[in-house]
Amino acid sequence: MNALDAVEKRALGGSGPTTEAAGPWRSNRSWLTPVLFLVPGTFLFLLIIVVPIGQSLWISLHDWDGFEQPVWLGLDNYRELLGDPQFTTALRNNVIWLVLFMVAPPAGLAIALMLNQAIRGMRIAKSLFFIPLVLAPVTVGVVFTWFYDPTFGVLALVFQAFGATGPALLSDERLVTFAVVIAALWPQIAFCMVLFLAGLNNLSEDVLSAGRVDGARGWRLFWHVVLPQLRQVGFIAVVITVIGALRSFDMIAVMTQGGPFGSSSVLAYLMYEQAIFSYRFGYGAAIASVLFLIMAVFIAWYLRRMLRLEREAA
Amino acid sequence: MFPRPLPDDASAQRFLYMSLVAVVLALWLLPLLAIMATSFRTMDDLMRGNYWGWPERIAWLDNYRDVFTQTPMARFFLNSLVITLPSVAFVLTLSTLMGFVLSRYRFPGATLLFAVFVAGNFVPHQILMIPVRDMMLRAGVYDTFFALILFHTAFQTGFATLFMRNFIAALPQELFEAARAEGASPFQVLAHVVVPLIRPALAALAILTFTFIWNDYFWAIVLTQSDAVKPVTAGLANLRGQYVSAWNLVAAATIVVAVPPVVMFFLMQKHFVAGLTMGAVKG
Amino acid sequence: MPGITRYTTMSRRGLLHTAGGLGLAAGALRGAPALAQSRAITVIADQSNAETRAIFAEIAAAYEADTGVSVTVNNMDHEAHKTAIRSYLAASPPDVCFWFSGNRMRAFVERGLFDDISDLFERENYYDVLGTSTETVSVGDRQFGLPLGGTLWGLFYRKDVFAEQGMTPPADWDGLLATCEQARGAGLTPMTLGTKELWPAAGWFDHLNLRINGLDRHMALMRGEMSYLDPSLQPVFDHWQDLIEREIFTPNHTSYSWQQAASFFVRKQSAMFVLGNFMTRAFPAEEKDQLAFVPFPRIGPETRRYEEFSVNSVHIPARAQNKDVAREFLAYFYRPENLGRFLRPDGNVPPRHDIPVPDDPMMRSLVEALRNADGTAQFYDRDTDPDMAQVGLRSFQEFMVAPDRRDTILERMEAARKRVFRA
Repeated sequence: MNALDAVEKRALGGSGPTTEAAGPWRSNRSWLTPVLFLVPGTFLFLLIIVVPIGQSLWISLHDWDGFEQPVWLGLDNYRELLGDPQFTTALRNNVIWLVLFMVAPPAGLAIALMLNQAIRGMRIAKSLFFIPLVLAPVTVGVVFTWFYDPTFGVLALVFQAFGATGPALLSDERLVTFAVVIAALWPQIAFCMVLFLAGLNNLSEDVLSAGRVDGARGWRLFWHVVLPQLRQVGFIAVVITVIGALRSFDMIAVMTQGGPFGSSSVLAYLMYEQAIFSYRFGYGAAIASVLFLIMAVFIAWYLRRMLRLEREAA
Repeated sequence: MFPRPLPDDASAQRFLYMSLVAVVLALWLLPLLAIMATSFRTMDDLMRGNYWGWPERIAWLDNYRDVFTQTPMARFFLNSLVITLPSVAFVLTLSTLMGFVLSRYRFPGATLLFAVFVAGNFVPHQILMIPVRDMMLRAGVYDTFFALILFHTAFQTGFATLFMRNFIAALPQELFEAARAEGASPFQVLAHVVVPLIRPALAALAILTFTFIWNDYFWAIVLTQSDAVKPVTAGLANLRGQYVSAWNLVAAATIVVAVPPVVMFFLMQKHFVAGLTMGAVKG
Repeated sequence: MPGITRYTTMSRRGLLHTAGGLGLAAGALRGAPALAQSRAITVIADQSNAETRAIFAEIAAAYEADTGVSVTVNNMDHEAHKTAIRSYLAASPPDVCFWFSGNRMRAFVERGLFDDISDLFERENYYDVLGTSTETVSVGDRQFGLPLGGTLWGLFYRKDVFAEQGMTPPADWDGLLATCEQARGAGLTPMTLGTKELWPAAGWFDHLNLRINGLDRHMALMRGEMSYLDPSLQPVFDHWQDLIEREIFTPNHTSYSWQQAASFFVRKQSAMFVLGNFMTRAFPAEEKDQLAFVPFPRIGPETRRYEEFSVNSVHIPARAQNKDVAREFLAYFYRPENLGRFLRPDGNVPPRHDIPVPDDPMMRSLVEALRNADGTAQFYDRDTDPDMAQVGLRSFQEFMVAPDRRDTILERMEAARKRVFRA
């Protein structure tokens, strides 16, 4: 969470453009058009995303194998969670993911800054840097598994070159999660890079020139003039990274399947495993609900903060 | 522009800079090179654990040909386009409308609505599986393109609205005041002030949503069952075996599948540039 | 509450109806049964072998040409299919689908999702040609599917490596220990193992338990009727722990899928491999004649031999639209020449006695081992409840890494058994 704070403070530190939100709602009486704008998206989202979330919460109060009549359990699934060591492990791993994933926004920004030059060939370079994001997660997982292979992997070969034995990262209960996170960071950094590239292209030249006239250069210009203008993009990059960290699933499914013996599982994977392999939809839904609750607390706190700061800035 | 552009006449400097970028790029793409190398390997090589060494025999096109002959890959490709392109168009339209209203109008429940959209983003996909499948069945669209388009549009609109709202909120207030002074209707403001300014954001969103929807595998297997509807990711999965996986084929297929999003990114870049000039003009 | 909803007819089906109509005349000429139902069927397959897929498509096409019935085959990725079948059986079933016999089939039969095809067995005399494999698709005395090829498990070794080192394939426990020592002396890892996919570890449990406690007790455990804390399981884990502590297995085996581990075996770095006959497909073609098979060694005085033999199967969903045509298609597909072709690429053992066994040494030793078996189990994750299997597979992997956690592991499995089987 500290990294997140830092990004946000930086983003709000300088004199960014104001984002006053008081619109012509009252003065113009033209409320019909805006409402019409909102209706289709809202309806679709409520119907296909929000209602099913409610249904899943309902399922979490039942014992259900996906076929037969669900049996009402009340809070039993949640009680079982509290005593399930696998749940604790998954929760702990989610925290590790969240913390380590915060490397992605600054790393993505660094690459975006490097690429933000109009030199021949740079457009192609940008496209190539973007590639990790478009590769199927299965492939990314497989390639990194090969990297980590204790006998034939690149990592092992490097260690062998120094006469040492490489660690079997994916076999080690303590290291496995870190190894998976590093693989997952690859596309995530590319993701943040794309966002920051868009942000950098939208910098106000006026403000930049003003800063330069004031004698700000390099780091100082970056810190006081550029970053504040990237606050919205930065905010999105951080949110996306948090979502990515908490929803992490594909890499684990491909690289470890939660193993060895459950030590690299996270809540999203545990939920999937319970629902799909063990056919415990109720218990799986309960895990998902807890995950959702963690996310909801986080997002509520963050939304409040963001809206308050926007209001202050206005 | 930041960092300060390298001067046009400093060709040595520019060359050095580009070389540096090339080195970073090579390191960055190391895993991709591994995939490409694998796509030229034979299965025998992989059975022997030869992942990094020189291949015993280079299979230039065998694996790529097999990808198209072993699965109806061409059809899956077409299916993916039929699913992805309309979904992206819908997402962009809906999220621009939503983002515009949520960032420029204050009304009761605005924050709540925005919060719901943000929260919806955080949902693990798997939790939606059963209810969404049942809903599509009830609506009679299970195992059709429409089911996937509907779901992807709804889900991605959550993220895209978050993105758009923040982007439009960051636009200079004076422009809107000027438009209001001229008595422009909300629709006119949207069409003549907002849309031209958010082209870079639209380009970025188009790329991202295209990529997400294109790469989706989970919903493809939840909402479809016939080959006539399945997207390309399902074809990719068909190449993974029950016991034996032909990773050389999977690697080749991955390259094939990754082409459209990369092309898309390349095409969309000119809109980033358009956004740049726009920024220069608007003052 | 999201329940199961009725299937809504889609335009695709409508199209197929029309397509079926065109083939009507051809069918009538051949004296096919009255066309109360449309002459079109949909098949969902989960074949992961491209060659098998192609052969199945050819058989379907030949059937189309023969009868005018249009056959749509949708092939799913094997893992995805395991998930999808739970949706489509209830919601929008095809007319024919592939699955696994035994307990996994039983789960769907008990919920009324697979059609009783005893009539087809009767009509086509399958009882005579199938013998005991009929049992794998039976619930009570009714049949709910047709058995396809079977995968036999046992001990694989390389003839050339064994010859070089003067080793002989072990027949009993002492022989196994001796061969392991000999292999180690030759600088080889005695036993290849990759447990990333979890189930290869369960293969060891099954073999040891079948050898030490026999089939009946093993199946009682699988059905949840026996406790994991039962003292009779202790010798199983004692033997297993003995092997683990002798360090006969591939180090860091949790990092490897079995396929990755197999590369050690292929490269002559490890001596033996306990796995199913699909192992042959991970072997380079030109070296296949070096691969040999023997049954898992005997343990103690027990002379009865029980093997792991998992059988796939093909079924008609209970809510299929064209059950009669589906039966005709299955009868065609199940003809000895078609079934034989279909099974060959995977090297699986044919269920029908009247299919000539391919004449290669590997297949001969598989068939012989099967003939000498006194009974067969399917495999841990096919014989027990899926929920239990999930806990069990993971526990076995953990035991192979940390055998000192035996008590904790067994207690966890027992807790899962009580929950799953409501014992």
